[in-house]
Amino acid sequence: MSSWRALLLRVGDKCPEYGGSVDYKDHIVGISERWYSGSALLRLDTVLGQILCRVFHLVAINSSFPVIAATHYLCYKNFVCDRWPIPLESCYSVLSEEMKHVTVRSQNLITLKMKYRVLLTWISWILLQLLLQCAEQLPHKIPFYSVLVGLINLENEDFGKDVVDAIHSKLQDALLSENCDKIRISLRFLTALDLPGSISSVIEVFETLLSSALLTIDEEAGNLSWQPCADFYVTCILSSLPWGGTELIEQVPEEFDRVIVQIQSYLLVRKRSYDNSFTAFETDGDKSVTEKDFLEDLWDRIQALSSNGWKVDSVPRPHLSFEEQLVTGKSYSLPHISCPKQSATSQSTISREKDNYEVKLKYPQRLRRLHIFPSSKTELKDSQNQNDVSVKATNIDSRKECASYMASLPVSFRYEYLMAETIFSQLMFLPQPPFRPIYYTLVIIDLCKALPGAFPAVVAGAVRALFDRIADLDMECRTRLILWFSHHLGNRLTEEWWHEDFWREGGGAKLLVKERMVKGLTIWEMEDQQPVEFRKVMDVMDVGSNFQYFWPWEEWAHVKDLPRWAPQRVFVQEVLEREVRLSYWDKIKQSIENAPALEELLPPKSGPNFKYNSEDDQGYALSRELRIMIRGRKTAREISPWVEENIIKVHGPKFALEVVIQTLLDIGSKSFTHLITVLERYGQVITKLCAAQDMQVLLIDEVSSYWKNSTQMTAIAIDRMMGYRLICNLAIISWVFSLPNIEQFHVSDRPWEVLRNTINKTYNRIADLRKEIQTLEKGVSIAEETASKALKEFEAADARLEVVDGQPVQAEKPGRLKRLKGYAEKAKEEEVSVRESLEAKEALFARALEENKILFVSLYKSFTNVLMERLPPVSDNGDLPKLRPEKIDAMSVDLEEPPSMEVDHDNGQKDESENNGERVTHSYDIKEQDQWCLCTLGYLKAISRQYATEIWPHIETLEAEIFSEDTHPLIKKAVLSGLCRKMVEL
Amino acid sequence: MASLFKDLAKLSAYRDRRFHGNQEEYERALQASTTVYVGNMSFYSTEEQVYELFSRAGEIKKIIMGLDKNTKTPCGFSFVLYYSREDAEDAVKYISGTMLDDRPIRVDFDWGFEEGRQWGRGRSGGQVRDEYRTDYDPDIL
Repeated sequence: MSSWRALLLRVGDKCPEYGGSVDYKDHIVGISERWYSGSALLRLDTVLGQILCRVFHLVAINSSFPVIAATHYLCYKNFVCDRWPIPLESCYSVLSEEMKHVTVRSQNLITLKMKYRVLLTWISWILLQLLLQCAEQLPHKIPFYSVLVGLINLENEDFGKDVVDAIHSKLQDALLSENCDKIRISLRFLTALDLPGSISSVIEVFETLLSSALLTIDEEAGNLSWQPCADFYVTCILSSLPWGGTELIEQVPEEFDRVIVQIQSYLLVRKRSYDNSFTAFETDGDKSVTEKDFLEDLWDRIQALSSNGWKVDSVPRPHLSFEEQLVTGKSYSLPHISCPKQSATSQSTISREKDNYEVKLKYPQRLRRLHIFPSSKTELKDSQNQNDVSVKATNIDSRKECASYMASLPVSFRYEYLMAETIFSQLMFLPQPPFRPIYYTLVIIDLCKALPGAFPAVVAGAVRALFDRIADLDMECRTRLILWFSHHLGNRLTEEWWHEDFWREGGGAKLLVKERMVKGLTIWEMEDQQPVEFRKVMDVMDVGSNFQYFWPWEEWAHVKDLPRWAPQRVFVQEVLEREVRLSYWDKIKQSIENAPALEELLPPKSGPNFKYNSEDDQGYALSRELRIMIRGRKTAREISPWVEENIIKVHGPKFALEVVIQTLLDIGSKSFTHLITVLERYGQVITKLCAAQDMQVLLIDEVSSYWKNSTQMTAIAIDRMMGYRLICNLAIISWVFSLPNIEQFHVSDRPWEVLRNTINKTYNRIADLRKEIQTLEKGVSIAEETASKALKEFEAADARLEVVDGQPVQAEKPGRLKRLKGYAEKAKEEEVSVRESLEAKEALFARALEENKILFVSLYKSFTNVLMERLPPVSDNGDLPKLRPEKIDAMSVDLEEPPSMEVDHDNGQKDESENNGERVTHSYDIKEQDQWCLCTLGYLKAISRQYATEIWPHIETLEAEIFSEDTHPLIKKAVLSGLCRKMVEL
Repeated sequence: MASLFKDLAKLSAYRDRRFHGNQEEYERALQASTTVYVGNMSFYSTEEQVYELFSRAGEIKKIIMGLDKNTKTPCGFSFVLYYSREDAEDAVKYISGTMLDDRPIRVDFDWGFEEGRQWGRGRSGGQVRDEYRTDYDPDIL
């Protein structure tokens, strides 16, 4: 018998709406019937059943209380902790453990019955939770769950109430905690609910949300900064309509019309919202104001849907088969919900804009999707499915199960394109992707495994399409794409034999392997006695040698002939660089053997570049001497005076720096660990030499020259030195903006990587301090409480008097009083000490914030300086210079033509795609200077956007100190759009 | 959706027998640790490769390569120390099972590095599980 969980998870699979032929009716009836019969509960879930049998058995022989207590406790703990799948097993083991200690007593049938009832209540509560969880996490199946709720409600009258209450509290919590996904899904579940009478509650909720939205955008009473939130509420209402629109119109036509009218009036009043800062593709010109924004677009779709009778193919309507039964159920209405109150409009423009920025982050627009593929591939019947897919992608935080789940997503059209587009949109989501970018490597690989026939080709198509438009892609997105792609290329298909079972000692497969000594070439062998396992491994190898993951580099060989600064060329070069880092040089060289032209773009074969190789080099002898001292384990304290005496006094501090750094780096060149060991041990010597910032810049120069063949080691060494506070972030910025690096801005990621690391490290320090302060604040309040409690106890004891011989005398024993006093004093001391450490941390934090401000001021100054020197001037009539050439918009051409990839043959577009295979649109004619400006402006915008929350507090300083009337408008534009500010000030 | 299918926070069944303490303490150590164990690595993978891959999950504090106790050469495992717990969790969730040097590596929480744990525990000096590997066959070499 399949478990309850499995039944719920699979309900509706393969039904006609999803392109299958299974009748879901039996499914639903089956589940609800099981639910009805109380005793059958025991059989619902095998594990649960086992536990209960065991419990009942034990209860029967000894009716002791701990059993129930333990069950309660476990159920409670498991649900409160929200860790669903494990509890049952652990329940069992803990319970049986518990049983051993229970003393046997005589039977007591009455208590047994009572306990049985208590348990049943608990179980139905567990199942309710499971149902809610399914609805939340498999939202496309909400219609099925709604019918189930309706049917169970017929038998068990409290059930409907429980569900309604649960959704209500979920929705209310989500509204207050501003959890967008939960708001949307709770609202959808509510709309789809098949309980009689629930419809009027739905209308009430819609109206509450709408009035909140209308209030927000009210010129006088509202707060326009919060429009993104209002937009979001309306989006939610609109997108839940496909799930219950028909019922609404049938049952409460007038109220429904009222809602629609309110939505219309909302749309009339609101201002269109365009977000340039969060779009992945850039253009020179501003978007036309006539274009519809995401909400209007959704409104159009919903209107089209309403004229179509609210029928959406991909939304199953299982309740139709049960309509007659369902209306007889008991009705419940939803308690009133309330929207969070928005703060009043701030006074100053800047804080208003800051509010707006924060709200935008909280309530992102849902339709921000990259259009990678031609629209014919991804066009949807309605916007709903896209939401579903993205919910899926957002929710999958697990591995294979979820990928295979996505792969079997029940929709009736081909959705690989949609899925790939959603994943790439998430990877490029600005300002931050929902998950760490590295996660998407995994998702994509898992999907390739789950859909080996279709998905790899779609991914390749996406890469090609993005590559074609790389010049317009946001700089941050380019970096993410490079990191993902290089990682992806290193991951070929393999069976999931890395799974735990595989390694578990003594069990499962024990691969007896041996490796060949040639690096990179691994040969797996099996012992003869395990033929089955051996075959498994052979399968792995077979799949492993699947060529899908080998990139046809020859397609991109042409980039070699592009100028050094052409974005496509830089992209290929950076992908190769990252690939080499993840693997090794010879191997990557081998991987591009189909395109030997690209060898030119490979990074230099890494290796240190030590200055003193022959005795003729000045410094050779000194360096050797220093090396001997270090080998002889001389301490930093012994070396510093030696440097002072023998190098600085004779050759000056700069030369001393050169010798010391070259030597130390050479000693630490063997590996990352060697480097940090040397820095830990001899950091003081460096600090002595480089107290001043300009010396630190020279130090970084020296690092960069020693590791000129390895960008990675340069970046690591600089990063570590900053970590040990041998160099400060301002020195690094000053180095990044030194001439040799400026000249690399548009041709390499090298300076940018160092800059990114530096800002990131500074940011991490602040984030850590914030966390520590939070913990300490909690500690303080706990200590305060303890102290006051101890004091009260002492005072109470102290005040207790008794009358002896007519005189009031201390009632408490002096020993206890003394002890209590001691406790109180100790608690007070504790409180004081926690408070002191909090104050110390707060001081540190204040300093860090100040440093951060200085960092950003310096950063913006540097950006402004270099850009002002190079940006073309604004023309006399005030037109901004156009950095991108006026082209016949290659972008839109790309969009209409399918990119050269394996195209949907069903659509009969094969011929076109073949033509496209030969399409050559590789012309590139941006001048070096213009590309430099585009690139630098792009990074300026990307950095502003990424650290916007840290920059906002200092915005006034920045405006006062850096941006003047003369600042080039393109610089202002980049910063403002990065910070998500409106352009009106320009 | 994850929680419906599998619990990610679940610890693996492996237990380090050198850990001094009971199972509960062991689990507590794993749940708070910012160190991850990396297994099934190629003997030729370098610290820099590990750095490049694992720094994508967060800022790295230290890398310790597992060494053969006789030859002092890498023997297929390592420890990566992060600054924050979330980064370590992400490494376990997102890097485990991906390829490094053509080998699917395994990433797991570790109770914390201590001096001495860098050495292979096999009789030959390498890892115990390498002792299941058969001898080199001169024919293939």
